[in-house]
Amino acid sequence: MFLRRFVLGAVASSAMLVAAAGAACAQVPPDAAKTFINQSGQQLVTIVNSNASDSQKADQLRQLVDQIVAVDQVGDYVLGRYINVATPAQHTQFLALFHQLLSYNITYQIKAYQGVTFIVNGSSLMGNDTVVDTTVSRPGQPPADVGWAVEDVGGSPKIVDVIVAGTSLRITERNDYASVVTSNGGQISALLTAMQNQIQRISGQ
Amino acid sequence: MTINGRVKAVKGGMRRLTVVLAPGLLLAGLLAGCATAPPPSDTADYQAYQEQNDPYEPTNRFFYAVNDKIDRYAFKPVAEGYIDITTVGIRNHVGNFITNIAEPGRLVNFMFEGKPRDAGTALVRFTVNSTIGIGGIFDPATKLGYQETDTDFGLTLAEWGVPAGPYLYLPVFGPSGARDVSSIPVEFFLTPVEAAPESQALNIFSYSETALRLVNTRAQYIGPIDQIQATALDPYATFRSLYRQERASEVQLIDQRNLPTTPDWFSSK
Repeated sequence: MFLRRFVLGAVASSAMLVAAAGAACAQVPPDAAKTFINQSGQQLVTIVNSNASDSQKADQLRQLVDQIVAVDQVGDYVLGRYINVATPAQHTQFLALFHQLLSYNITYQIKAYQGVTFIVNGSSLMGNDTVVDTTVSRPGQPPADVGWAVEDVGGSPKIVDVIVAGTSLRITERNDYASVVTSNGGQISALLTAMQNQIQRISGQ
Repeated sequence: MTINGRVKAVKGGMRRLTVVLAPGLLLAGLLAGCATAPPPSDTADYQAYQEQNDPYEPTNRFFYAVNDKIDRYAFKPVAEGYIDITTVGIRNHVGNFITNIAEPGRLVNFMFEGKPRDAGTALVRFTVNSTIGIGGIFDPATKLGYQETDTDFGLTLAEWGVPAGPYLYLPVFGPSGARDVSSIPVEFFLTPVEAAPESQALNIFSYSETALRLVNTRAQYIGPIDQIQATALDPYATFRSLYRQERASEVQLIDQRNLPTTPDWFSSK
């Protein structure tokens, strides 16, 4: 049942599905984090439920995600321990591909967000993060409890993780990427190739 | 006993035997295919290997590929057809019914975990939903303040301190682990259907309930599974990660919900 809640919630919150990760910087006060998530969520809902075309929505969502998600920190977290193995050139290429992949994944999931609404419930400090609890609803689906981990990155609050039923999306992403590297003898180049292939595959659909 | 009765008894016995033996046979099969660990000198890769705790990865991936094919050509099309002919309300009622039929199992597991309040919640939920909730298709217990609480034998073992152990991906059943695989036979015997006397009607009900549970559950996952398969670099690893985190979270929830055995109304007197 909790898995069911998780997966339903994961779709509902999928605008930031892949973007959820990040490096610790500074704590955001709970009330400020709540306000930030409320504003960000409203912007997201407005874009998704607008009458614009899917491509226009995708562009708007990409811009929004760049503003509210710490994408570079997310990328570094996802790369995990391999950040010490990657050359500077590979690291730069990885972050560029990560941004691109995130954009394509958002485009892929746009239809799934249609009609999404959300309510901000509360917020609490958890380690370096401030986690804002929300209830995300989509038509025809039971409501899902989604937590948004917020950190102060470069002086402004940014989303660094999405937690659904105790399941962290940044950890999921890191495990996904680490598996590609370990399956290929620890080669970062294999991960970069897999990311490029994925981008080609999604963009070709 | 009549010949017909003996045939039914043998059929029931075979079904039970299969459920009990299946995890053991699967474990034996898994031992046939083990992953090769990277050398400890390759620090990052070795740490990642240890963290994955998936020494039977080649076999697990084989079963994942088999399940994926079965799903693509059987379960998913059936689930899509099921979605076409049912409404969200019907699917929710089916979900309620499936949840309710597993409440006695939760009651027993919560008792073994030493969580009498949670066991009481499972008992109240089963009693209320089976009667007022018309056999469990409605969930009035939640409205009365008895929220659904989940557990199984794998989580009971976790409460007893048994570690999760290596990851296992089982044919048909999907993600599991060395500890959690024991849930399959235990959950099978902890349903009200198994406690009832053997009969043809009960067998038909049992098979129908299993089929409905599989289809209804697959229908609920249809969007998320499609999404993971489309966006993950390695869907196998993503499902593995989600499974592990979800199980750890369930253990944490049971511990966090560790209610005192004395109800509030009693202690406030």
